Amino acid sequence: MAMNDLSQTGLARRALRSRGRTKAAAVLAAVALGATSFAASAASASTNAAGRRAAPARAAHAKKFLACEVTDTGGINDRSFNASAYAGLKAAAATDPGITYKFLSSSSTSDYQPNIADFIAEKCGIIITVGFDMADATQAAAKSHPNQRFAIVDYTYTPAIKNVLALHYDTNEDGFLGGYLAAAMSTSGKVGTFGGQDIPTVTIYMDGWVAGVRYYDKVNHKHVVALGWTPAKKRAPGSFAGNGLFTNDFTNQNLGKQDAATLMAQGADVIFPVAGSVGLGAAAAVKQAGAGHYMEWVDTDGCISAPQYCSLFITSVTKGIVPSVEAATLSAAKGTFHGGNYIGDLANNGVSLSPFHDFQSKIPAKVQSALVALRSGIISGKISTDPNSYPVG
Amino acid sequence: MSMTGVVAPDGLVAAAAERVAPSGRVRGMGVFLVLLAFVAVLGFVSSVSSRAHATFLLSAPPAVGVSPLTMSVRWTAGALAVLCAALGVLLVLRREQRGAYLIFGVGFATFLWAFLVWAARGAQLNFVQMLVTTLISTTPLVFGSLSGVMCERSGVINIAIEGQFLAGAFLGAMVGSVTGDLWLGMLAGAVAGGLFGWLLAFLALRYAVDQIIVGVVIVAFCTGLTNFLTEQVLTPDQTTLNSPQTFAPIAIPLLDKIPILGPVLFDENVFVYLAAILLVVVNFGLFRTRWGLRVRAVGEHPRAAETVGIHVLSVRYRNVVLGGVIAGIGGASFTIGSVGEFSSEMTAGLGYVALAAMIFGRWKPFGALGASLLFGFSVSLQSFLAVLNVGIPSPFLAMAPYVITIAVVSGLVGRVRPPAADGAPYSRE
Repeated sequence: MAMNDLSQTGLARRALRSRGRTKAAAVLAAVALGATSFAASAASASTNAAGRRAAPARAAHAKKFLACEVTDTGGINDRSFNASAYAGLKAAAATDPGITYKFLSSSSTSDYQPNIADFIAEKCGIIITVGFDMADATQAAAKSHPNQRFAIVDYTYTPAIKNVLALHYDTNEDGFLGGYLAAAMSTSGKVGTFGGQDIPTVTIYMDGWVAGVRYYDKVNHKHVVALGWTPAKKRAPGSFAGNGLFTNDFTNQNLGKQDAATLMAQGADVIFPVAGSVGLGAAAAVKQAGAGHYMEWVDTDGCISAPQYCSLFITSVTKGIVPSVEAATLSAAKGTFHGGNYIGDLANNGVSLSPFHDFQSKIPAKVQSALVALRSGIISGKISTDPNSYPVG
Repeated sequence: MSMTGVVAPDGLVAAAAERVAPSGRVRGMGVFLVLLAFVAVLGFVSSVSSRAHATFLLSAPPAVGVSPLTMSVRWTAGALAVLCAALGVLLVLRREQRGAYLIFGVGFATFLWAFLVWAARGAQLNFVQMLVTTLISTTPLVFGSLSGVMCERSGVINIAIEGQFLAGAFLGAMVGSVTGDLWLGMLAGAVAGGLFGWLLAFLALRYAVDQIIVGVVIVAFCTGLTNFLTEQVLTPDQTTLNSPQTFAPIAIPLLDKIPILGPVLFDENVFVYLAAILLVVVNFGLFRTRWGLRVRAVGEHPRAAETVGIHVLSVRYRNVVLGGVIAGIGGASFTIGSVGEFSSEMTAGLGYVALAAMIFGRWKPFGALGASLLFGFSVSLQSFLAVLNVGIPSPFLAMAPYVITIAVVSGLVGRVRPPAADGAPYSRE
C-alpha cells in the first residue's frame, strides 16, 4: 500500500531530522516507566513505615523480631484470610512488644517467589505465606533456606517440612453447621453457594455446607436444595472434588455480584460465598434483592470485617487464622517454633460458627440448640460431614 | 457512507467488499449449522427420556407476569434441531449472499435454545435474569469499546482502556464516598479517564512516542498507582473513603411493564442507559456528521485531511481525551454502578476484552456492541450452567466466554481492516 510506504519514509525522515524530539520522547517514556516502578516500590516502602508505626512500644525492648506476611492476590484488605493473617501478626505484636511486622502484596502468582525472596533478604524472623496457591513457592524457599522459619495458611505438607508450620483448617466441620443453619432459615427451599476458585481450601467449605443442608433435609424430612456445588459421587477419601459455580477470580467483586444474582434468580434465598472479598459483591446483590434474602460470610466474622452488611449475615463460617498465626509468630519470637502441620477443627476451636449478631433473636431456639448438639456430634465423630453419606434433597 | 475525496480508493473498495459475505464462507456457515443440528439431535434429543421437561421462568417484577414456559425437552429440542438444519441447508443452496449473517444468527439461536432446554431439563431456568446478567456484564465493555472507537477512528491506538477503567473506578468510588454524591463520583471517574486519555495523546501526538508502548505504560502506571493508593489511603479509612452508595435501578414508566423485555432493558441503573445513549450518539456522530467525517478522514489519511484544512493533531487530541472520558465513566460503573467499593485490580482485564470487542466489531460502535453482547451472554450462560449443574466440569465452564467469543468471532468476522493511519504518528512536513 502506497500509504504505508509514505508514512514509513516520513517516519525515517523525521527521525533523522529531529533527534532532539526523539530524545525528549525517550525521556518521557522513561519518566512514565519510572513512575510505575516508583508506585510499586513505594507501596512496600511505606508499608514498612506503617508496620513500624503500628507496632506499640517498640523502643522498650532491645531484642527485635520481624514478622513478615506475603499476601495472596486478594490483597491485604480482602476481609478474609490475608486480612486475618495480618490481624494475627498485629495480635502477636500487641502481646510481645519486641515484634514488628510488615507485609508485601502479590498482585499475581508470579509475585510469590520474589516477595518471599525479599523477606528472606530482610532477615524476617518468620515469613507467613497466605494461601494454598503459595504452597510450591513456600516449599521451594524453605528447602533452599533451611534456617528460615515459615508458616503457611491453608495448606498441609506430606511429609511435613521442619522449618514450615503448615496451618490447615477442617472448615467442612463448621461449614456443615452453616449449611444446616442456612437450610433452616430458607423459606424458598433453596440455598446457594459459590466459590472463588475450584481448589480444595474453597471446596472443603462448600462440601461441608452442602452436607449440612442434606443432613437438615434428612433429619427434618424437608426438601431444601443446595445450589452451586455438587460433590462428586465417587472420590478418593479426603478429597473435596465436585462441580460447581466459581468466579475464578478473587478480585473482581462484580463477578461475585453476578453469581449471587444467578443463584437468587434460580430460587436461592440464603447465599454462602466462599470467595474472600469477591463475596462483598454477593452482599451487594443480596442487599439489592431486598427483604427475605440473607447470606453467610466466610473465613472471618463478617459483622466485624464487613460491618456495612452485618444485617444480611445470618452467621459467619470462620476459621481461626488469627489465633493460629499469632501463636506461630509468638513461638518463633520466643524461639520455641516447631515446624509441621497444625489442624484446626471444631474440637480445638480452630474453626467455628461466629456469633449470630442481628440474627440472635431471629433464629429459632430449636435450631440454635440443634446446632449445639450437631457440634458435639461432629466432634465425637457420630455425625459424618461427608455429603455423600446423606440422600440428595 | 460518503467518504468522498479524503479516502484512498482501496479503502472504499474494502469497505464495500466487507458488506457481503464471500460465497465460500456462506456455504461454510450452512454446513456448520447442519453439524450443530446433528449435535442437537444426538446430545439433546436422543439422550433424554421422553418425559423430561424444562421450565423457563419468564417474568420478574415489575413487568406484567408471564407464566413460566414448560417444554418437553425431546420435542422442543427436536423441532429446533430440524429448524436449525433447514436454515443450514438454505444457506448452502442459496445464491443470494445478502442476509446470510442474519440466517446464520437465527440458526445459531435455535441451537442455543435447544441447548438451554436440554440444560434445564427437570429444572427451572430464570431466562429473564439470564438476559439481565448479559446486559450488566456487557455494559462496561460498551464504554471501553466506544473509547477505543473514538481514539482509533482518529488514528490513535488506545490500549490503555484497562488503565482508564481502573482510574475511573478508583476516583469514582472515592469521590462518590467522600461527597456522598454519586453524580460527582461519575464526573470524577470521567475526569480521571480523561486525564489519562490526555496523557496518552500528549505523549503520542506531541512526542510521537510509540502508542502501544505509551498504552502499556499507562496501564501499568494506573495499576500500580491504584494499588498503592488503595493500600495506603483507602484501606485505613474504608468507611469515609471507600464506601459509596450505588446508583439504584431506574424503572422507565410503562416500558418496564413490557413482558420479558421490560425488566431486562428498562429497569437498569443509569450506566446502562448512558451506554445506550453514547452508543447511538457516537455512531451517529462518526458516520452522519461533518465532525465524524473529519475524524475518519484524519484516521484514514491525515495528510489529505490536512490539505483540505483540517487540523489533524487537534482532532486527535480531542478524540483521545473524549475516549478517555468515556472509558473513565465505564470504570466508574464498576464501583458506584455495581458493588459500592473499589478493590485492587477489580477490572480484571475487561479493558482488554473491550479492546478486542472493538476490533471484532470492525471499529464500529454497533459491531463492538455485538461482540460485547456475545461475551456478556457467554459470561451469563456459564454462571447459569454451573448452577444447573449440567455435568460440564467447572474449569471448562470458566473458559466458555473466551472460547465461544473466539470461535464465533473468528468464524464470522474474518479479516478486519483498521483505519489506515491507525497508530501512525503524524507531523506536518
